[in-house]
Amino acid sequence: MSSPREPRPPRPTPTPPSFPASVSRVYDLAFGRMLWSRRTVFMALVVGGPVAVALMLRVLVSTDLLDAAGVVDGRPVTVDGPTIFGLMVWGFYLSFSVPLLGVFYGTSLIADEVEDKTVTYLFTRPVPRGAVLVGKYLAYLVCAGLLVLPSVMLVFFLVTPLLGGSIGAGFPDLLKDFALLAAGLAVYGALFALVGAVFKRPLLTGLVFVFGWEPIVLVVPGYMKRFTVSYYLQGLVPHALPRDGEVTGFLLEALRANEVLPSAAAGAAGLAVIALGGLGLAVRLVRRREYVLEQ
Amino acid sequence: MSAPVVAADHLSKWYGQVIGLNDVSVEVGPGITGLLGPNGAGKSTLLKLITGQLKPSKGGVAVLGEPVWDNPPLFFRLGVCPEQDAFYERMTGLEWVTALVRLNGLSEAEAAGAARAALETVDLLGAADRKIGAYSKGMRQRVKLAQAVAHDPELLVLDEPLAGMDPIARRKVIRLIKDRAARGGSVLVSSHVLHEIEEMTATILLMHNGRILAEGNIHTIRGLIDEHPHKVRIRAADPRGLARGLIVHDDVSSVQFEEDAVMLETRRPDAFYGRLTEAAATGALGEIHEVSSPDDNLQAVFDYLVK
Repeated sequence: MSSPREPRPPRPTPTPPSFPASVSRVYDLAFGRMLWSRRTVFMALVVGGPVAVALMLRVLVSTDLLDAAGVVDGRPVTVDGPTIFGLMVWGFYLSFSVPLLGVFYGTSLIADEVEDKTVTYLFTRPVPRGAVLVGKYLAYLVCAGLLVLPSVMLVFFLVTPLLGGSIGAGFPDLLKDFALLAAGLAVYGALFALVGAVFKRPLLTGLVFVFGWEPIVLVVPGYMKRFTVSYYLQGLVPHALPRDGEVTGFLLEALRANEVLPSAAAGAAGLAVIALGGLGLAVRLVRRREYVLEQ
Repeated sequence: MSAPVVAADHLSKWYGQVIGLNDVSVEVGPGITGLLGPNGAGKSTLLKLITGQLKPSKGGVAVLGEPVWDNPPLFFRLGVCPEQDAFYERMTGLEWVTALVRLNGLSEAEAAGAARAALETVDLLGAADRKIGAYSKGMRQRVKLAQAVAHDPELLVLDEPLAGMDPIARRKVIRLIKDRAARGGSVLVSSHVLHEIEEMTATILLMHNGRILAEGNIHTIRGLIDEHPHKVRIRAADPRGLARGLIVHDDVSSVQFEEDAVMLETRRPDAFYGRLTEAAATGALGEIHEVSSPDDNLQAVFDYLVK
């Protein structure tokens, strides 16, 4: 006989873990898995690129193949290590690596679990679905930070002392760059977490946004550039880049000529709105959405 | 009568133009209930609605007296073993079950203890420290079951839990399910193999085309089985030797060889499975890796029923 001798009396339902506690448990589960994934190996190669470039610069300078003096826009300029480092932070990290990390990790926070059909295990536990997303988002932030920040630090120590630059004098700028990169990772990650929650092919959508929409819209006069993350990040760039470099001055001039620079406060506010709004909307969508796994 | 553990009221679910479940009203009582039907009958859709993975298109479903959609605390009382063969492959069995049980609010030490106990229940403690990616199909099924029972839920929902298991593992899992029911737990288990369900319970829900076709005692349709040969696919180290040992019995009506398996037809599945389990336990017919039952067994019965 398979029926029970005595049905079990209902037990009092335990108090569910709080939202932050649930987030912390999901983070513990997700972090190790994310850190040792193939995606992380690929992204480590991406952020290794600037380190290779920095090494090459160092070799060129030490063999006197690279000169500090040059001409930009018809005017003679001299560059130093901190200036090159500032340009590398903008060109390699903020414009490329950070958005790419945001796209690859952000869009996959839930999509990977759905594609691997493991989402069932997370959504049939007594934790809110939103906590699953936020826990995984935090795991992404730490994982991406562990990839980007050591790379930036290596580049800083390789490049800053070149051509008369000083590590000590440039250190405050390094800290500002760290803050800017962390902000970029947080904002792009939140935005693409939302993209991952909305779109069926989030990776493609994200790549189109980062490498199609943003670069094009940023150089088109008008208000459309406000619908990019780069626009708000640029508002913070002058406060992160070395202020007295001539090359940096040309870059800023060029940006201002296109009216693309918001104030620092507007930039910070815009980034905060995108990050909090994106993550909040993503949490709401994940909570309401059904995930039908393909058989 | 005891309060139902699952109560569906005019429950429907459709995916675009496709109807997954069509106006199902049913109450599932305590104990073991088998959900039986061929692939596409709506079993998985019903189980996904019952476990809050899908939202009803129409009607409602209550589990243990509570609505299940967007109700995380209910999962303290509910254990789910899904059909899909999906895992965090690079984790060990112990790490995986521990990590999932931690989501129930247990500390690391408590969760590890609960995970070990669950792995022992499914006879997998010896392989607890091996990566799931290196598990056999039967071990994967059992570790999936372990994560479902680790927090000792009142209701266990199992979607095709015996698929791909070897005969000995099947017997152990069936015993585990029956033990839980004997200790007052409830189990809702789906299968497309009547024989499997019959070994666990006499209480069944028969599903076909998104509807409950019949509910109640399994014996009402048991007789139909004998009229339809039951196919069994066995993957073994020595399929020919295995076939030679089994064909001598008069209930085996045909044998067909595949690459590393043999497909047999029997008209008396009870006797056949009994012998097969015995053979697997003694090793008399060589190593048996996997036993599966193609869907057309039950389809034949259903075709007969809905004529």
